[in-house]
Amino acid sequence: MSALLALLLLQADEPLRRIEEEQARLRAVCEEVKRAYVFFGQGSGVCISPDGWVLTNFHVSGDRDGQRVRMTGGKAYTADVIGFDPYGDVALCKIRDGKELPFRELGDSDALRVGQAVIAVGNPFLLGNGSWEPTITHGIVSALHRYMDNPGYSDAIQTDAQINPGNSGGPLIAMDGKVVGINGRIDIRRFTNRVNTGIGYAIPARQIERYLAAFKAGGRAFEGYVEGITIGECGDSRYEGAGLYGDGIFVAGVVQDSPASKAGFEPGDIVFEIEGYRVTNANRFHGIVGNWPQGETLRFKVRRKLDEVELKVFLGDPEKIREREEASRRFPVGLTLAPGAELRVASLDKDGAAEKAGLKVGDVLRRGEGRELLCRDELRGVLVSRKPGETVKLVVLRDGKDLEIPLPLPLPAP
Amino acid sequence: MSVALVLSLLAPAQEGDALAAVLRKVRDQAGRCVVAVEVDRESDPDGQTARGSLATHTDYYNRPRGPASGVLWDAEGHVVTSQFNVSGGIKKDGLRVVLWDGRRAPARIVGWDEGRDIALLKIEETGLPVLPKADFAKLGQGSFVVVLGRAPDPSSPTVNLGILSAMSRMKGAAVQTDAEMNYGNSGGALVTLRGELVGVGCNVKPQAVWGQSGGVGFACKVSVIEDLLPRLKAGEKIPAEKEPFLGIRPGEGNPDVGGVQVVQVLPGSPAEKAGMKAEDVIVEFDGKKVEDYEAFTDLMQARKAGDEVAIKVMRKKGKPAAGGKQDYAEHVLKAKLEERPAGLQP
Repeated sequence: MSALLALLLLQADEPLRRIEEEQARLRAVCEEVKRAYVFFGQGSGVCISPDGWVLTNFHVSGDRDGQRVRMTGGKAYTADVIGFDPYGDVALCKIRDGKELPFRELGDSDALRVGQAVIAVGNPFLLGNGSWEPTITHGIVSALHRYMDNPGYSDAIQTDAQINPGNSGGPLIAMDGKVVGINGRIDIRRFTNRVNTGIGYAIPARQIERYLAAFKAGGRAFEGYVEGITIGECGDSRYEGAGLYGDGIFVAGVVQDSPASKAGFEPGDIVFEIEGYRVTNANRFHGIVGNWPQGETLRFKVRRKLDEVELKVFLGDPEKIREREEASRRFPVGLTLAPGAELRVASLDKDGAAEKAGLKVGDVLRRGEGRELLCRDELRGVLVSRKPGETVKLVVLRDGKDLEIPLPLPLPAP
Repeated sequence: MSVALVLSLLAPAQEGDALAAVLRKVRDQAGRCVVAVEVDRESDPDGQTARGSLATHTDYYNRPRGPASGVLWDAEGHVVTSQFNVSGGIKKDGLRVVLWDGRRAPARIVGWDEGRDIALLKIEETGLPVLPKADFAKLGQGSFVVVLGRAPDPSSPTVNLGILSAMSRMKGAAVQTDAEMNYGNSGGALVTLRGELVGVGCNVKPQAVWGQSGGVGFACKVSVIEDLLPRLKAGEKIPAEKEPFLGIRPGEGNPDVGGVQVVQVLPGSPAEKAGMKAEDVIVEFDGKKVEDYEAFTDLMQARKAGDEVAIKVMRKKGKPAAGGKQDYAEHVLKAKLEERPAGLQP
């Protein structure tokens, strides 16, 4: 009898035991992930590598170098914005001389399911300033693939984990401790009342992952689009043979000799799949295509009358991309870099400032004003960090040796 | 009969069922220690002060009519609630506490702490139930917590679930939670899933930028209240500390000398009286190095209005030399901090 009673007492706390187990897991995740959190100005960020690559929102970081940031606990660092996407509201920054920093990996946002638990780490209303303890809020994935324009949260994760002003740029984290999104937007009651209403949006980690290479190359990344087609919703009665709403998107027109016509699009095509993702409507089409930066080639599946056709589609206009790339290699000190990630001098203008300072073709630019140059955009930043007439300090690699070269910045032509 | 009961308990419950069972137990046991606080006011200046752009949303920001919540502190009728809940001009005999069983007891205010937003009330009842106190060593960010508040119907409290979002807010006096907190359950109990008291809900007020039910809520820690209690029982009414004010508009750090670049010195401010000038760079405060604006605000937080502080600034000396090098001269200024006007930076 007493044994039965003991069993009863033990079993009576079974629900509590189960929930406390869940609580222990949640606390362990909170403890782990908060260390990788970055206090970033009026917003948030998250460190994704031990050498200090930091993700945040573009509306938090802008395109500014030398920003003071802090990690949980209050240790201060200097971060430079390397690559950014103003439309998609993402920026990739680098902590200068970062070593062995706490970080969290990007997770698989495609594996998210509505209803699963997530946490948001952030600094709402800057409450953590001073104690440098971030705020952690808990909720679920409310919906996936939300589409919003300007900025383009075109494939957003919706969550009821409460995010507020100051959370922007902070991570949304799944229970495996990985970063599944960057929080950046909320729906509010009215514009002047900026408090969460249970509707927050995050940019998915998979999208960010696909932009990382473009971000690391420096400067602005441009989101993918298909140049040269006019699209309509399936089921739109203005078009003949447009199928039913939900089938995909309807190609209403193709511009002659455009990248789209070269990819093989024909008027009347119904695009129903891109890189394995189902296309259900125009918003989803833009959301999927915007998941990649321009310059990528994606596989589109198209229904054409009774056939299924696969097309390889280049995102963006190759001519414009080439022009941008060439412009990014030219510098007003009379210097042109070679293509590629390395900052190797390809040519020097005769009697230009760079040539006069003693730079040579083949030099690799390594440091500027005392810091490592990670991309062309950073060199551009260094060249405007001083006024015309002043001198910037460069370090170049020549014949296997680092060589210091002071470069006087040219005065504007009279 | 008992065998059947044992069997049903052994049956694997769904996670949601387990949570519901835990929450019901918290409601039924801990809920008895949460009371409704009824206040009849003649005037309510604190509750009607949504200002500026917020003034257009009085329905959201201003204090509504209806009861707030409180927590039974001991068997002898001491009740702790948020100071804001009992602010304003209260009518004679206009303060009442409603217990879980519907008993309505006249209450009086014994003492309060405006800064920590805590008030101590007293009712003439005995033998009241009291919550056990939570052990903070077992709590952390991510711990589940429940806010218990009283509705106009005293028979059942409102149960809002959340987690501890941060362990140290309001200069260490409060914890932060994402359990939704509003004018009704503020002053109520923040408890663990075992029904242990973590703190008393506070800081829901019209001036607060986090508004209500936005996922940012606070509870004054139980240990902080315990430390305050002797003073409050003695009838002390502790006003909020006056925030210190120097009167500068800060800019970016200066690439040459670091610190905080002063963009503007506000007219008539302590900074101006001390002789600070725009373009000065604050590099030391009270002998401590100032690396950035946050470090400066941290150091300011440690001082109060009326304090004298020594501030070292770097001021440009002459024109930049060839190559862009700018010389700076050190100046040590003595400033007497004043009370910070609402809406201004330190």
